[in-house]
Amino acid sequence: MRIAGLFSFLSVTLLSLFGQPAPAWAQSDCKALVAPSPFGPDDQTGATNRITPAVTKAAAADIQTGVVTAMAYPLTDGIPLFGTRFSKTVLTSFATMPGAEFGKNKLSYMEDTYLSQSHVGTHIDGIGHIGVQDCYYNQTPMGKYVTQNNLKRLGLENIKTFATRGVIIDAVKVFQEAGKLKANSACRRPCLDAGTMITEADLQAGLKMYNVSLREGDAVFINTGWGDLFEQYPAQNAAYNGGEPGIIDSAAKWLASQKVVAVGSDSWAVEVIPGENKDIAFPVHKTLITDNGIHIIENVRTQLIADAAANSKRATFFLSMTVPKAVGLTGTFVNIEAIQ
Amino acid sequence: MHRGLRRRLFLAGLLACGVHPVRAADRRYRIALANLDETTGATLEGLGFMGTEVRRSFELAARTLPVDMLYFDNAGDPARAIANTDAAIAAKIDLLVEYNADPDANAEIARRLAAASIPALALIDPIPGAPLYGPDNRNAGRIAGQALGAFALETWPGDQVLGVLIGDLADPGPAIRDRVQGITEGLREALPSLSLSPLDTGGQSVRADALFAKLLQTQRGQRMLIATLDDLSAVYAKNAIEMNRRQSDCVIVSQGLDRNIHGSASEKKEIDPNNRGSVVLGSVAYYMDRYGYDVLPLALRLLDGEKLPPRTVTKHILITAANVFQEYPPFDMN
Repeated sequence: MRIAGLFSFLSVTLLSLFGQPAPAWAQSDCKALVAPSPFGPDDQTGATNRITPAVTKAAAADIQTGVVTAMAYPLTDGIPLFGTRFSKTVLTSFATMPGAEFGKNKLSYMEDTYLSQSHVGTHIDGIGHIGVQDCYYNQTPMGKYVTQNNLKRLGLENIKTFATRGVIIDAVKVFQEAGKLKANSACRRPCLDAGTMITEADLQAGLKMYNVSLREGDAVFINTGWGDLFEQYPAQNAAYNGGEPGIIDSAAKWLASQKVVAVGSDSWAVEVIPGENKDIAFPVHKTLITDNGIHIIENVRTQLIADAAANSKRATFFLSMTVPKAVGLTGTFVNIEAIQ
Repeated sequence: MHRGLRRRLFLAGLLACGVHPVRAADRRYRIALANLDETTGATLEGLGFMGTEVRRSFELAARTLPVDMLYFDNAGDPARAIANTDAAIAAKIDLLVEYNADPDANAEIARRLAAASIPALALIDPIPGAPLYGPDNRNAGRIAGQALGAFALETWPGDQVLGVLIGDLADPGPAIRDRVQGITEGLREALPSLSLSPLDTGGQSVRADALFAKLLQTQRGQRMLIATLDDLSAVYAKNAIEMNRRQSDCVIVSQGLDRNIHGSASEKKEIDPNNRGSVVLGSVAYYMDRYGYDVLPLALRLLDGEKLPPRTVTKHILITAANVFQEYPPFDMN
């Protein structure tokens, strides 16, 4: 009887500890929330599966002049960061310590320590970055695969090289030519204002300007002009962070249907903020990353390549972007260059 | 044949032939918002929202609707509100959303709009003959009172508790009166004999700090349920609590849920999933920064010939650390 009573007490206690928040603790039905990968149930690579040797070879044909255009912003103190995000470096300077030199030739050295979150500066969102409840790309029940330090599935180490074709879409020119540019007074150059929605039709208009058709494996970059505020750091950080122009969800779905591998922009989220539906958080992130394994690349310096495209009349280039094999990470800062 | 049936058959025939009659929903409307006051720093309705936030909500909501918007700033000036009405009429608007506090000016605005056969939709303050959209201050107050009462019963069962009201209590307007009434009713549902101490900030939220600190020092060991009438007062009252180390016997529920308290993209987030231990239990949302999303669909219904109810009220819910990100997701998710 006493044992039964104890069992009953324990049951009630355990129920109150673990049973009470059952809806939050239960594993979600990921098959109902996230689409399966077209690359199979074990796929952790996502859209970069599409970058085949044939895709890379075809992209190499875009190198005609050898001109390299920078597409990353400097990673340094004062650039716009969100909320509590941080990025700091600590220099270990042995060169300045008398007696610390090596050998009779007095060799000295310096090193750095990065104390930084990964989603800062020009950076890539991995496919382990965004999910719905605890369900991530390819119906992965991510609750089973997280540790205190990293992911055990969908980490950056799984993705393939980005040796592919890049395409720049100049949304500023699209909106200017359509006579619908609503600029932000803080921008020194023409820019789309925060909240400006870029549609599928706008993307297609931007492609048509340079007679480009998207093809499987492309990485698409959208110039909104918003990056002008990033370049004014720290003076315009609040304005930059306070919203942004960007693509809407239907445009993201269209890009996914074109089988692109990445979508980047000169903004901090690529998608329009505030979004078209005030009750839905970051729908483009969900569409591209969670549903399609397509990477988002944020804070991309798109203006230079947009200018280059205007001069050369070529909006395509060979994309040079290397992502470290950072095991279990959800994102990392990257350097990007466009080679034409 | 019945006329309605004949019309339906006619329309069905048109559709079958691929001819679509022009529906009201297909046309774009020209709608003007005459905003109460967009002066920098001016706040609305005794809460922390600003006129620019109301306007911005219309700009954002309009993006996906068949409307072309015109914006006017009444600047808190009744004469300017009337002049803005004339300008809106001259601009051949289809409907005016009027947010103006002066009843006499609103009566004149109603007359001028009627003469021009332009319908109006009133924000918060009534316009004769126009449907009204705005907060349900009494209900919002009641939600706060009920939350405080429930907290006391659950956390301090059987303890003697003092209720404290902090805010611009001398404001003669009906909004404050209704909120206070709602808070009192909500509190007394759970604690019928609760006594309430009013602390009037005179419209300067910063005074909540000193006023409440003084009360705390005279009421040592007393459990307190604090209802603040605006979020900034809640932040200052919280400071007084922390300075007097009274976190264990005080709890605050506020009104508004403006950026002072949910933080948005700023680092200081008082109501936040990572700040569940705050003495600020929550704030009742008024969503003035989302008005456009509610009001423009109402305006379209009115323009499409629907008869609206005389009064439509904002949804009010208590926002706490447990649900704040569902209502106001932080921007740091990229």
